Amino acid sequence: MQYEPVQIVRAPIDVAGLAAGLRRGEDGAVVVFEGVVRSHSGGRPTLYLEYEAYEAMALEQMRAIAREARALWPIDRLAIVHRLGRLEIGETSVAIVVTAAHRAPAFDACRHAIDRVKKGVPIWKREYFADGAVWVEGEVIQP
Amino acid sequence: MRVRVLFFGRLKEIVGRAEETADVEDGADLGSLFHSYARRFPQLAAMERSTVLARNQKIAGRSEGLAEGDEVAFLPPVSGGMKHRAVRTRPNRAGAD
Repeated sequence: MQYEPVQIVRAPIDVAGLAAGLRRGEDGAVVVFEGVVRSHSGGRPTLYLEYEAYEAMALEQMRAIAREARALWPIDRLAIVHRLGRLEIGETSVAIVVTAAHRAPAFDACRHAIDRVKKGVPIWKREYFADGAVWVEGEVIQP
Repeated sequence: MRVRVLFFGRLKEIVGRAEETADVEDGADLGSLFHSYARRFPQLAAMERSTVLARNQKIAGRSEGLAEGDEVAFLPPVSGGMKHRAVRTRPNRAGAD
């Protein structure tokens, strides 16, 4: 069965459906990571977030991360889905699902993938507060 | 020659647009393109070290040459790992002086 390992979407991410679509009979582990919009940032209440991306490059970087994870760990499938646009508190901005025969490589590959997504994929986050908005700029983007 | 230049995040706000077409001299490289924008938008000069440039969707060094029809993107820092620095971009209207 074909699956799409990387996606950028604007609608809510169906994480359960994504995980169900990836798992196969030979898998003994399914690891799911969800990045979720927090209600506070630096002690201040957040109203909502907006994500924007350089989409063509973001998809290419996400594909490279998925390839890298598959080369480094004995996993079956890995999917990365990122959502753009306005997201409310509690909504999922990014989901990573890894399936594998065993849990250790699935955990490791998932952790590696989300760390790489946060540092190396051209997607930007803007936090909206009651008194203004900020771009969240943490790290210079890495190749 | 002409290249397409894209701006994201805070850089888009500083430049005031998401993209434009730039006329550059033959032999120009990414560094000279960045500096031409830094002259137009002094705030960009202060962000030189944190701004990464991509040429045709791949991160590229400042000495990389440009070709007709290239797509160049100015990429500010991403949210990254654990250490975050928030950059205020839209002051409260009521609190603005």
